[in-house]
Amino acid sequence: MTDYAIETQGLSLYYGRHRGILDVDLRVEKGDIFGFLGPNGAGKTTTQRVLMDIIRPTVGKAYIFGKDCQKEGVAIRERIGYLSGELSLYNNMRARQFFKMYFSLQKSNNDPGHWQKLADRLELDTSRKIREYSSGNKQKVGIVIAFMNKPDLLVLDEPTSGLDPLVKQTVMELVREANQASATVFFSSHILSEVQAVCNRVGIIREGQLVATERVEDLTTQHFRRIRFKFAKTPPGDAFTKDGVIETGRDEGGITLEVYTHLDRVMKKATSFGITDIETIPVSLEEIFLAYYGKGNGGNNV
Amino acid sequence: MFRLLLQELRFRINGIIGWGLGLSFFPVVYVGMYPSFAEQMASFEELMDLAIYQAMGISMAGFEGFIASTVTNLVPVILCIYAVINGTGTLAGEEDDGRLELIVSLPIHRWQIVAVKTVALGIALFIILAIVGAGAALTMEMITISVETRVTSLDVFLSLLAAWPLAMAVGMISLFLGAFSPNRRIASAIATVVVLVSYLGSNLSGMISSLEKIEKLFLFHYYEATAQALEMGQQTYNMIALVVISLVAFGLALVFFQRRNITVGAWPWQRGVISK
Repeated sequence: MTDYAIETQGLSLYYGRHRGILDVDLRVEKGDIFGFLGPNGAGKTTTQRVLMDIIRPTVGKAYIFGKDCQKEGVAIRERIGYLSGELSLYNNMRARQFFKMYFSLQKSNNDPGHWQKLADRLELDTSRKIREYSSGNKQKVGIVIAFMNKPDLLVLDEPTSGLDPLVKQTVMELVREANQASATVFFSSHILSEVQAVCNRVGIIREGQLVATERVEDLTTQHFRRIRFKFAKTPPGDAFTKDGVIETGRDEGGITLEVYTHLDRVMKKATSFGITDIETIPVSLEEIFLAYYGKGNGGNNV
Repeated sequence: MFRLLLQELRFRINGIIGWGLGLSFFPVVYVGMYPSFAEQMASFEELMDLAIYQAMGISMAGFEGFIASTVTNLVPVILCIYAVINGTGTLAGEEDDGRLELIVSLPIHRWQIVAVKTVALGIALFIILAIVGAGAALTMEMITISVETRVTSLDVFLSLLAAWPLAMAVGMISLFLGAFSPNRRIASAIATVVVLVSYLGSNLSGMISSLEKIEKLFLFHYYEATAQALEMGQQTYNMIALVVISLVAFGLALVFFQRRNITVGAWPWQRGVISK
């Protein structure tokens, strides 16, 4: 148990009779950058709130660094930087005041000036009142408070939401740097290219259930392979229409197949038409995600 | 804890000053106008004890009665509005607008959050009453030559401070309702009904015999806005009763906040049930 930064066992949460999450067994190893993927309402925010002991599971247990999130929540939260997906701030305060206040409540002696470095990096003017900020700048405030304590675990719910591409890049750099400094990162995002670029492992949640937890490279290579063949003689249109194979493109240059199962049979069949060239086209995480969700279904906004 | 308390007080500072000065206007005007009021009303003594006044706990006979009926009777009622707004706003309001999630995600026990917010509310109510009391006492000093009374400025000041247990009880009930109800709107509505029913019920129970049996259910029963109370102070057992009510409400707030699913907004009995 203690080897994991995050571990959940049979975690289920119902809002009345509505499903929040169902039987989630999640393991995030120390040092991982773990991407938590799923459409709106799939249960990402609920899972993160259970980890932070903001809401309590109906059944099941959640542990962070081997400690029970409910029983030892205070000790755990000393080591966590959290960014809420529905960030709400003290609008009457200046950002500078807010950062000082928030840092003072974190019971930490880690670098009291770190928030200023983070704000500078995100180009956030901390002398202004929070109510004067745009939504992007408010999100920057959330990023600063999550990272300000140099935590051992970052729990980030849609960290780049509402940010411009340059700031998004800075946030991803911050994530990488925190990870290099030994922090574990657990974050949800809808921007799959971003997840693919930073995460080493991902979990996919669908209708409250965790349907896959894989290393990113395993997920993108094992789920299906996209192969482009060039042949000496053109195969007929139905040559590869079998279970587990989808022909996604055909032109004078060749045929593109998505092979889910029976790669050996596909290769044998292709050989019979005289392969002149073969190319494996990388599959993106987004395509894997859509394959899991049947083009975006599977959420359930509770 | 202390840092959180300081922060809570900082958040309330504008409200404390605003309510303190705003509410001061009320006793300043009533105390200040008494000499001319007494002169004009000298020939209308029979109007002073009308049933409608009694229902509102008002008896205008003499300076003590006038001050008790206006200042020490109505200031606590108005302050209870602040207690309801602040008591329900403290947990339920911050949960509604999302800020409570920020605090709950800090390394702080939930009981500490409730305790700190309770202390901050108590201090805020006390300071407001002190400001109002000081305003009334200063005005009293200015008119004391033209008024014949045994009541001193200090009596007026202390009689207003003595409303603190009542305001605190209302604040604590509101805090509890905020931890119990799905949202602030419902908590405020219930707390407002509690205050109105308590106030009218307490005053009417002196006139309607059938209400006498249940008068102890009304919060305002434990606070006397009378000439006697102005001179002698509140009854100790009434003060104790209000403190006990506050402590019980605080305890209930702790219990329900400890179990609450923050950000969900549900009644306690609407907790999740497995329905596979």
